[in-house]
Amino acid sequence: MDADKDNANPTILNPSDLPSRRRSTPAAKRPGIFDALAPAYPRLAEPPSSPEPSSASSDSDPDSDREEIDSQEIYDLISTISDPEHPLSLGSLGVVTISDIRITPPPSPRSRISTVTVLVTPTTSACSLTTVIGLGIKVRLMNALPPRFRVDVRIKEGTSRTADEVNKQLADKERVAAAMENLSLVGVVRTMLATCE
Amino acid sequence: MSDIQLYLLEADKNAQEARRIAAQSASHLQNKTLKLIDLVTSLEPYLNNKEDGSLRAKSVAYVADVLTALPPKVLSLQERRLLCDFLLGRLEGDVEGVGATARALIALETLGKWDSETAQGVMRSFIDHTNPLRQFKLQTERHAIIQLVDMLLAKYRDPIRKLNEDQSDFTANFILYWEGEKDPRNLMIIFSLLQVPMTEWDISSNAQDLFDSVFNYFPITFKPPPDDPYGITAQDLKDRLRACIAANSDFAPYAFPQLLDKLDSTSMNTKRDVLVAIQACVTEYEAKTINLYSVTLWDALKFEVLNVQEEDLAEESLKALSMIGGKLAELPEGGPLNAYLRPIIKECNEHLEDAPTKQSEAAGRILQALAISGPAVADRIVKGILPVLFALYHASESITKRRGLLEVFTQIVGAFVKLSQLLPGTNITTLQAFAKDAEDAMIHALAKAPKSEVSFRLSSLTGLSQLVAAPGVLTDKQVERAVDTVTDVVLHDSSGGHGDIRAQAVQALASIAHNAPQAVRDRTIPAFMVMLPDSPDEGDVVTVTLEAFAQLATERQVFDTVVLRLKNKLRAAKHQGAPASYLRALLLAMLYAFTMGSPMQEDGVILSSYYKDYAQPLVNDFVRSDTGAAASELEIVGRICNIILRAQGVHMQATVFHEDREWMSEDMTGDSDSNTARGPFMLYYYASLRPEVVEAEQIVNMLQSQAKQALRDRQTTQESVTTLRLISLVVNKFVSPKAVQASLQEANIEVERLCNEASAAQAIHVAFAVVKGLLIQGKSGSLTTKYLNSLFDHLTITTGMTAAHLFATLLAPDDILTKANHCQISGLYKQKVFGQLVPKLTAAIRTADAGKKAHYLVALSGILKWQPYSILAASLPELIPALLQTLDLYADQSIKASALTVFESIAMHDPDALSTHAASLIARLLKCCIASPPRGTTTPASSSTTTPTNFPSVRAKSLQCLALLPKQLKLEIVVPFRRQVVKQLMGCLDDGKRVVRLKAVQCRTAWLSLEEEGGEED
Repeated sequence: MDADKDNANPTILNPSDLPSRRRSTPAAKRPGIFDALAPAYPRLAEPPSSPEPSSASSDSDPDSDREEIDSQEIYDLISTISDPEHPLSLGSLGVVTISDIRITPPPSPRSRISTVTVLVTPTTSACSLTTVIGLGIKVRLMNALPPRFRVDVRIKEGTSRTADEVNKQLADKERVAAAMENLSLVGVVRTMLATCE
Repeated sequence: MSDIQLYLLEADKNAQEARRIAAQSASHLQNKTLKLIDLVTSLEPYLNNKEDGSLRAKSVAYVADVLTALPPKVLSLQERRLLCDFLLGRLEGDVEGVGATARALIALETLGKWDSETAQGVMRSFIDHTNPLRQFKLQTERHAIIQLVDMLLAKYRDPIRKLNEDQSDFTANFILYWEGEKDPRNLMIIFSLLQVPMTEWDISSNAQDLFDSVFNYFPITFKPPPDDPYGITAQDLKDRLRACIAANSDFAPYAFPQLLDKLDSTSMNTKRDVLVAIQACVTEYEAKTINLYSVTLWDALKFEVLNVQEEDLAEESLKALSMIGGKLAELPEGGPLNAYLRPIIKECNEHLEDAPTKQSEAAGRILQALAISGPAVADRIVKGILPVLFALYHASESITKRRGLLEVFTQIVGAFVKLSQLLPGTNITTLQAFAKDAEDAMIHALAKAPKSEVSFRLSSLTGLSQLVAAPGVLTDKQVERAVDTVTDVVLHDSSGGHGDIRAQAVQALASIAHNAPQAVRDRTIPAFMVMLPDSPDEGDVVTVTLEAFAQLATERQVFDTVVLRLKNKLRAAKHQGAPASYLRALLLAMLYAFTMGSPMQEDGVILSSYYKDYAQPLVNDFVRSDTGAAASELEIVGRICNIILRAQGVHMQATVFHEDREWMSEDMTGDSDSNTARGPFMLYYYASLRPEVVEAEQIVNMLQSQAKQALRDRQTTQESVTTLRLISLVVNKFVSPKAVQASLQEANIEVERLCNEASAAQAIHVAFAVVKGLLIQGKSGSLTTKYLNSLFDHLTITTGMTAAHLFATLLAPDDILTKANHCQISGLYKQKVFGQLVPKLTAAIRTADAGKKAHYLVALSGILKWQPYSILAASLPELIPALLQTLDLYADQSIKASALTVFESIAMHDPDALSTHAASLIARLLKCCIASPPRGTTTPASSSTTTPTNFPSVRAKSLQCLALLPKQLKLEIVVPFRRQVVKQLMGCLDDGKRVVRLKAVQCRTAWLSLEEEGGEED
């Protein structure tokens, strides 16, 4: 059965090598192990407390420290998509990497539109499913990002023989919309996205 | 009528009566009023009745029943022999009543042992004249015969075995006899009796037939009928069948090919049975037989590991491979083992070449499983694999490849660790030869590799701790190098961010401390001490170091050293006037060590000497001397005392308490400020004491002084929290249930009076504290009921909001009122509150005006917050409307959050209860998940009232709740809301908080997926 696949034995990245927000948070900001010694329950004589006493200061004005959408967040959205031919995530196959995600702020103060650019690295240069992977990423981001983001998914230069063709398809709104009318394609994309949280 | 006539009449109608008649005949025989010869003669007309077979059968049954009822020594040897011959003689011409014949024979045998000829004769008669067994349609008949044969094989082993040796056709017929049996009750005995010929007879000429006769049943697919009275399970049959398959080495030529054939089955259960059967064969067959099939088995079993279908199949295969290795190692000559291992080592080496792949990982598992099977195997694996592995390691520059190779190496070392636990003193010299290479590689990886190579460094970390765990592999010097390296990572790897592996390094250090405690004491602990100043300037780095240090205490071997150093450091820091935050951190580290670490124990109880050595000095330094220690420090000291003291016996506690009472009593009676100040310590100190240690009089005094304090209004929040918890504790643990009301009155805190005072907030707080203690105790039922009603009535007054909020504290978990602290904990107090208050609350909510209703809603949500779902499930129709009102009435975030939690549970467990409320629930959830309403564009209705902002946790919770609905509710209910929800959630995708955005994405995905399902119906 392996023979049917374009790349039967791809390199798999170790989960601990993948970028994650938990890992990259500086230790000082994480709750220390000593804090866990005293559980926080409401007690008599305490004023009716907020559900998160530790971050009470930021809660008093929720907009005060806004957490902007960054490339780690984009990565978390798409790295869990499954590869259509292996039961593995795009992140662990290295199809998407955090360094290949770029967020471009609005070009002028009057515009609100930011752009997310994702470069896709197929597992082999002849991978026939590159278009489907690109489509899956595009659909995922369009559903998961607020409308002020424009989503641009392309094949990384020099990694696929069909890059130009695929890029043209993915950039074309009409063709993306048409593809999503195709029931069998919708089925494939849905199974790919089924592993996303 | 004669007995036989009576018996025949009753036989079909009333089996019990028939047996009674037979027993009566037996007693006649016994007291000699009936002669055996007369009894037999009376049977004649029925036993020889040519037309009616059933009549003949019943006559034999009569004989069987009479014989069963007879006590021994009634019949003479001659009579017994005569009866036996008579019964067997009948079999030749007439097999009616064969089951009864078998029963009669069993009864005869119990009356007197048979000689060899008789036993052989019985066996032969059955095998010759009733073959095959399946001709008898009744299970009970066959069952009786099988029991007879089972008895023969059990008691007359030698005579029956002689039949096999002397009579050439016997065994073949014996095997054929059982063919076609299907009843599980019979099969259970057949599988068991067949083990006698299988293991004891010379069956070389019949091996295949004998094997096939049982293997035909493989795999067992039996499903017991519901409420089966016999209680035979498929597993019982499988176990017995497996024992048959593995019974004789002569089966190997048939067993292995057929089993391996069935290993290709698509059914996972069959594969499971095959693997377990192979394991049984490997265990039972002779080693020289296994030798013939070892490579064939490897070739088949390896696929289950290299291409894992199901994890348990891979594990069973590994176990089988390991057992083969162990079996072959039993042979004195090494040839067979080498022949088995050669292809394995070759193939694993090939997989290592392109590590890391799934195959190279599998190779690691295979090698580990094999090496565990015995020192001889482990030795050969080390010699066969490690030279190649290290050659590949040094030839490659790729870090991922090196990681893959190191992981395999670590797995082999892991096998040695296990091996040396099973067989202490295992020879490890072969591994020693590679230890230096490996240690160098791993130390280099930890110290020099780029920090971003997380998995590489983590693998090295595991590798090092495994190497240390394998006794004697590393020299003392090498162990110290390993310890230094890991310590270095913990102390100096301050890169932070993605490459931070300190948490894992601390874990590794703790496990190293288990295996090499001395090295950790000599190297690591001094290194930590250098990093911990007596009086630090900057806080952060020190906390991280201190946390790591405290975690070392999880290892018993170094626990004492760790706490001793902490104590000395604390003393030095106090002496040097270190900042309070540092003192507090040191105290916390000590508390962590005692709570989460592994202090020495005696009979399962923490050693009492810790109290004198650690807790007492802390009490002297922080509590007794008027150094003005902060409340948080006192609390930690209290908790350290608590954790050491609470498990101690009465005697030890009484001694301690007696010593402390003097200086404490000054506080208790006096109204001084130090009294209040020491509260946090007192709370935990008293929590640890057994109730019998403290005298009643002291308790009343204490309650009074605490009550006095609690009712004063110049306390800080922290102080009053402590006082109130102390009141709850005293009421629960120390006050005698018989004298509760009196004691409360004496202390001026009788609840009804407190409620009537009403005006002072302190009074109502105290009331709740008292009720909480009583409620959890559960001993003063009617008083508690009365008090709960008083609290409820308090909601009706205009300032009832304070009381409403306090209801949440009644049931909130509490780390003081616990069994470990010798408190009285009733199992049903949550039910009690629910049953007593919730119906009243829901009724009140329906009728109350807006202002009062708020009180009730808050109180209700406070009570529901801590209820297990099973309690509220029964009252959903009353609860849901109230909870919906809670969602839109309140600006209070914790109330909203707890209502949302309840809705989440309902959606999970009883989604149908929400169906009729779908529209109102969805609308409210959508409101709750927006941070604040867009300004300017609001409708006039909502702009008039200032809609408060929702906290991130409330937004996330409501999104989580909303996400459940499309999955849990019926399609036709949710589909109409899809468009509206998906559109509204667009806004939440741009929420300011990341957790909320994540939930919004999940929620929106759930609702979007409705489209396809709903669309297809159109």
